[in-house]
Amino acid sequence: MKRYVVVWLGLLAIVALEVVLTLAHLRTGVQLAGLLVLAIIEAGLGLMYFMHLRYERRSFTWSLILAVVITVLLMDHFWLDAFRLLHQRLSAP
Amino acid sequence: MAELTAFSEPSPFGVPSRKLGIWMFIVADSATFAALLFAYGYVRVANPDWTRPFAIWPTIVNGIVMTVVLLSSSLTVIAAVLAAQSGRKTTALRWLGATMLLGTLFAALHLREWVAMIGDGWRLFRNPLGGAPLVGATFFSITGLHLLHVIIGVVVIGVIALGYKRGRFDPGHLETTGLYWHFVDLVWMFVFPLVYLMNVR
Repeated sequence: MKRYVVVWLGLLAIVALEVVLTLAHLRTGVQLAGLLVLAIIEAGLGLMYFMHLRYERRSFTWSLILAVVITVLLMDHFWLDAFRLLHQRLSAP
Repeated sequence: MAELTAFSEPSPFGVPSRKLGIWMFIVADSATFAALLFAYGYVRVANPDWTRPFAIWPTIVNGIVMTVVLLSSSLTVIAAVLAAQSGRKTTALRWLGATMLLGTLFAALHLREWVAMIGDGWRLFRNPLGGAPLVGATFFSITGLHLLHVIIGVVVIGVIALGYKRGRFDPGHLETTGLYWHFVDLVWMFVFPLVYLMNVR
């Protein structure tokens, strides 16, 4: 149980870091990148320890992780259209 | 005989089919939440008049409390599974009760926030601050789907606890339910920074 309490404390510390990062009023892109990195670290800790993926077979762990990562990567092509709309609006009279 | 041999073949991933099933659900549901978060990013990028509606007090402080509550409920569900695996049934049931309480508290805090926002004039397609009307749509749809998962989780934990108490379910069922609950927590790890913190004034 001690190990899980340590992970829980670590997750709380990451949440505190996220709030500090927000209070720093950084540029939107920098804030987004920082928050995403922290969220991914948080999710990794949750998956590996709370959800026990660390103790499962590697073939199983990687099958699951790759399925989600590939799905998320495939969604990225929508950004092109989002930026097209943004540019269209900005150039409008 | 051949059928019996095939039946006793070990799992290629070394996990029982029940656990594999919940993981398949988690992967599919991750894609659903990822799609919603991408849609939110899409409309945010495409709308230069996006408003950042949240103040540190009360919204972000409330969000921090909700995050601590949900993270703590992940710890209590682990305590329940560990107690069940070591045969301490009463302790496991107490921890499951604590998890349900924390889940209910999270839902109550969330609903209180929703009510306050609706009172301020926020609707699915109405922004009282005068910016992009899709702010409300993305906020209510993403947090609403997550809230639905929390409420379903609390009900499922209650059903599993009752079945476990009566001897119908074993510690394996608690573990599978715990995986679902951790997933709900995991989704919040992305919703809180992206939907709340990225929208602080």
